[in-house]
Amino acid sequence: MLQFIVRRVLLMIPTLFVISALVYFIIDLPPGDCVTSQIEELLARGDPDAHARAEELRELYGLNLPLWHRYLDWVAGIFRWDFGLSCQDTVPVADLIGERMMLTIVMETSTIAFIWIVSFIIGVYAATHQYKLGDYVASFIGFIGLSIPNFLLALVLLYVGKVYFGLSIGGLMDPEYIDKPLSWGKVVSVMEHLIIPVIVIGMSGTAGMIRRLRANLLDELQKQYVVTGRAKGLPPMKLLVKYPLRHAINPFVADIGGLLPDVISGSVIVSVVLSLPTTGPMLLSALKTQDVNLAATFLLFVAVLTVIGMLISDLALAALDPRIRFGSSEK
Amino acid sequence: MTSADLRYPQQTLVADYLRATAGVVLCGAPLLLLDVNRWLAALLLAGFALFALFLVRTALRHRTRFVLGPDTLCADGPVGTLVEWNRLDRLKLSYFSTKRDRSDGWMQLSVGSTGGRLIKVDSALEGFHDIVERAAQAAEATGAPLSDVTRANLRSMGIVVVGQEETV
Repeated sequence: MLQFIVRRVLLMIPTLFVISALVYFIIDLPPGDCVTSQIEELLARGDPDAHARAEELRELYGLNLPLWHRYLDWVAGIFRWDFGLSCQDTVPVADLIGERMMLTIVMETSTIAFIWIVSFIIGVYAATHQYKLGDYVASFIGFIGLSIPNFLLALVLLYVGKVYFGLSIGGLMDPEYIDKPLSWGKVVSVMEHLIIPVIVIGMSGTAGMIRRLRANLLDELQKQYVVTGRAKGLPPMKLLVKYPLRHAINPFVADIGGLLPDVISGSVIVSVVLSLPTTGPMLLSALKTQDVNLAATFLLFVAVLTVIGMLISDLALAALDPRIRFGSSEK
Repeated sequence: MTSADLRYPQQTLVADYLRATAGVVLCGAPLLLLDVNRWLAALLLAGFALFALFLVRTALRHRTRFVLGPDTLCADGPVGTLVEWNRLDRLKLSYFSTKRDRSDGWMQLSVGSTGGRLIKVDSALEGFHDIVERAAQAAEATGAPLSDVTRANLRSMGIVVVGQEETV
């Protein structure tokens, strides 16, 4: 297992390095830079010093340096938790992302917990009650979740909440806690506001997981050893948990790694629609204004979370089922 | 059956030394050369410890020879131990791969006899198949419990343990 962990962790390091380089270079590819739009604004105002001011800004943000130089500066800064200056407000990126990053992590973690718990319960129920009312209801919810885009569901909930219940479900905390230090009241407020975004973002992931777990478990439940066990009079719960559920859960665990990037990318548009103070809206605006440092920092965090998710998934799978598969070749 | 002296091939050991050194350098160099944020430092320190442990384990493997005999499997090295086949009570055969399709992986065998420490060997070890075969025979004789994962992995190596068929 130690060798497995070492090899897996060793793969992570160059992966993150390559992702960070690709992200940084791709964001910088379009013509112009983050100062371009500011110059246009200054020129429109008739500022005679617009070009001189633009040069000052370019020097401040290091935009006069070659791209590879800026990239290496940015990478070296990461170790000091210094991600450079953001062009949007000329403030350090680290100051901008602080609370947003924390709220994003809380929201994504809650969403993943929601997906696992709900899909596990419903998936097992649907498989063990095949073609009964509960199974049809679970399948219906599953198809609804898979077919409705998250942002549309968010819009519907916003409308229903406002028109029928008089509730404002946007935001991630009550207005009085915005920009206030952490307190118990703020935590409670965040927890209350988390429910809707978590359901909206987690809906499609939950639906997919339910379908997969149901299909895997049904495959196992139809195998001969289960039929034999049932014929020998094994208690249903023991017969379910001892083998079929353990086998059916492997693909479920393997999906954990893929779940994290799905949830994060799905949450960007939902965050914009629901006005959530997470990284999503800021990332979108950073990409639009070519704020390379800010956008690349966000995307690097997403990459880190994804790689960690994959690592957890692989480690869990290696611990649960270190079995050779057909088609695999032994050294 | 005569005793056989088994060692890890030089090529495998060199590859593991390179992996361990790369990890130690990648995690240790920023700690030494840069002013690192304390949370990142903790993360890098954990990585450094992991790779350092792997380096020590590789060095131990380098200095260890395995002696497969008719009655025992002996790990002769700095942290030596012995497994008596007629007292075998633990046998686990796992398969690991870092690829998503689980190809190009390696097997790991853990065996232990009553009151003794475990011996763990990888499929890179010369004569690995012979050790697994002997361990399976011993498990058959002693009735050591085998998990279904171990049974599946043994089957993939063409080894079936009589009396360990799947039961409900």
